[in-house]
Amino acid sequence: MKLRTGEYFIQEVFRSLKRNNWMSFASISTVAVSLFVLGVFLLLVMNMNRLAATLESQVQISVYLQDDLKKADREGLQKDITNMQGIETVKYVSRDEAKSRLSERLGDQKYLLDALGDKNPLPDSFELTVVHPDMVETAAKAIEHMNGVESAKYGQDVVEHLFDITRLMRIFGVALMVLLAGATIFIISNTIRLTVFARRREIAIMKYVGATDWFIRWPFLMEGVVLGFAGGIIAAVALRSFYAAMAAKIYNTLAFFPLMPQYPFMNYVTVAIILSGMVIGAIGSTISLKRFLKV
Amino acid sequence: MIHMRNVCKTYDTGAVALDHVNLDIEKGEFVFIVGASGAGKSTFIKMLFREELPSSGKLVVDGHDVVGMAREEIPYLRRGLGVIFQDYRLLPDKTVFENVAFAMQVIEAPRRIMQRSVNAVLDVVGLRDKYRSFPSQLSGGEQQRVAIARAIVNDPSIVIADEPTGNLDPETSWDIMDIFQRINKAGTTIVMATHDRNIVDAMKKRVIAIEDGRIVRDEQRGGYGYEA
Repeated sequence: MKLRTGEYFIQEVFRSLKRNNWMSFASISTVAVSLFVLGVFLLLVMNMNRLAATLESQVQISVYLQDDLKKADREGLQKDITNMQGIETVKYVSRDEAKSRLSERLGDQKYLLDALGDKNPLPDSFELTVVHPDMVETAAKAIEHMNGVESAKYGQDVVEHLFDITRLMRIFGVALMVLLAGATIFIISNTIRLTVFARRREIAIMKYVGATDWFIRWPFLMEGVVLGFAGGIIAAVALRSFYAAMAAKIYNTLAFFPLMPQYPFMNYVTVAIILSGMVIGAIGSTISLKRFLKV
Repeated sequence: MIHMRNVCKTYDTGAVALDHVNLDIEKGEFVFIVGASGAGKSTFIKMLFREELPSSGKLVVDGHDVVGMAREEIPYLRRGLGVIFQDYRLLPDKTVFENVAFAMQVIEAPRRIMQRSVNAVLDVVGLRDKYRSFPSQLSGGEQQRVAIARAIVNDPSIVIADEPTGNLDPETSWDIMDIFQRINKAGTTIVMATHDRNIVDAMKKRVIAIEDGRIVRDEQRGGYGYEA
């Protein structure tokens, strides 16, 4: 494409954006709102995935021992568990250690333990990690039936639930994406149709004097892409500030929450959102050109 | 320049517009196409710049095989042709100069020759001093002259005119014909469909008469020939 031709195309694009100012505004807004909603969903799903994965990797089995267990039995039990298939590590946690850990975890609310005085309601326990998260359930069930074991607990059900929720959200997100993308494409193709209509005389003359199909199509295609691009920028900017605000809030209340860090993650999201806008714009104008621009 | 062999055109409705037309128009000729409305004149003209496609037969225009050509080649056929219509078809929001330059712009002609070429053709049609006017400020004859300037600015080998004087009074029509004659003298082939008996009779050019989709008469230095 010659430089001057590019100049002409850009001129044409801005002329018709101005000419169809209300439709252009509606298109850009629709793209922006749709992409923003999609972006929020993307952020939610990705963060829930991350949370589930983090929890999953941290899953361990806590084996609580009966209070009256003798040291020798306890050591035998530890050996048996260590020899089980799929068990990676076994760590003995005495009831004293458990109490000091609890007081550490309570932090500012440590005084709650004062009420107990010297008493310690916590049992001795083993902390097990497994080779693979899948093995948690079977291992826990087997251990629970061993002599000297009070109970074996693990966080697997929480993780499962989280994965269920993210799976649902992903399906919902895809459905929403299809719907919103469809609506956006429709609006953009309508805007381009108006432009085609407004320029039908010019198009006819261009054909008679021998302009190529692509020379005629380019300005329309570019107009769609520009609309999508503008909407994408707005959505991306809004999404960035939204995520920054949410992140600040979450860090304030749930400091340990494994949130996706803003950088570089949000840069990828920004690029993806803007590119999606442009692709949606291109699709919208292509549909209109196919239907209304008989060249 | 233009060669037709057994060209037929049947529309989807079943109407036969052209029926086995054979014809040769050579370089530098000036040809009138005459015939009643609905005789097939318009179809004939539209085929030359491939607005319509023959149903069968062979049609070569300016070296292009119109029937067999790929879609992508159509613009290049049209760059060798200058097309003029009864209703001028100017862009109302562009000046005279811009209307003519537009034809160069959209085929990506070099900018440095644009100014010169546009001025030259505006000289040919006698509108150099009105280059900044808008079509609405011009008379019908002047508008048609702008359209002619636009048709010839890319230096076509054939000018195709469909009833170019149809909307003009006799005196203005003669101005237009005068321009056509000058363009023709410079070597450009001219094919003009018309209803204007006086013009055809006075110009003594080749006349091709079409009736019911067939060529019923083809004579050099002919006349309109109908009692209408």
